[in-house]
Amino acid sequence: MTAVSRDEQRSNTSVSSPPSDAPGPMDWVEALTGGGPEQSAALRELHTLMLRAAAHQVWRMRPALPDPSPSAVDVIVNQAADEAMTALLAKLHTFEGRSRFTTWAFKFAILQAATEVRRLQWQHREVELRDLDVPSAPRHEDPELYAEGNDLAAAVAAAMRGVLTPYQRRIAIALLVDGIPIDVLADRLGTNRGALYKTLHDLRVRLRAELTANGYLPVHPANPPDPAPSDARSRISPTPTAGTP
Amino acid sequence: MSTTPRPDSAALTPRNVSALLQDTTPWLSCDECFERMDSYAEALVHDPTYRDEAMAAHLRGCAACDEEAESLMRLLDGR
Repeated sequence: MTAVSRDEQRSNTSVSSPPSDAPGPMDWVEALTGGGPEQSAALRELHTLMLRAAAHQVWRMRPALPDPSPSAVDVIVNQAADEAMTALLAKLHTFEGRSRFTTWAFKFAILQAATEVRRLQWQHREVELRDLDVPSAPRHEDPELYAEGNDLAAAVAAAMRGVLTPYQRRIAIALLVDGIPIDVLADRLGTNRGALYKTLHDLRVRLRAELTANGYLPVHPANPPDPAPSDARSRISPTPTAGTP
Repeated sequence: MSTTPRPDSAALTPRNVSALLQDTTPWLSCDECFERMDSYAEALVHDPTYRDEAMAAHLRGCAACDEEAESLMRLLDGR
């Protein structure tokens, strides 16, 4: 039995029990580090898994690609799978068996493929770090709703001026208004996704504190604020155009 | 004279405002999100009512991590 089939078998038998209870999740690690023919076979199987997950991700984001042809997709998939496999093998010692190995492996390929698609999507586009000179929003058809939303927007703009640093404002505008993907922006600024997300988190905390102090947000909100009109109420991602279909 | 453009109060769309005011507490970094994404995805596919507040807050606030977590869940779910 191969490492893949063992893992798939665990997948099939884990339906009635929590995934973390699946037995023997370390078989892959043994196979990948043991040497000999079993290691070679495990490496081939792992690459097949990486191709599968990378293809899944690239096809999901295919409309965002400058060249969405099947041959171009194939190149991206193979490159992402190769790079993800290298990244995974470097982290193999950190696998703790909290999920199935295949799931753990998939996330490396998905991350690599998604990052590559977003990079290609923006490779010929300039990334501008600008302040609050954002274009005007279209007026809402309901004047009352528009007035409420405009009032909150004005309060948020004032808070951005008052409590954020120029750098925080520019990062907020780039990521949340202009929809520049976080890893693209990180790459252009010579930083990383984690550092930019920390900036984003900190500025959101400041804005929420200011808006709460000024009575625009409840003191102990049970739910995240959603000032969008009722017809647009859904789970809103901060960077809605950030390379997702 | 300031060179910083004055903000247009009508410039931020409701969607922008929602994103700017997103509550991303409790704090979780992108690295921690990646570390937990596999077990989180499996748990959620197994039980759609499963909750991890820190992961949920992070995914609401980080579109890239959110896309990748959603994609992983769909891959596991065969969608």
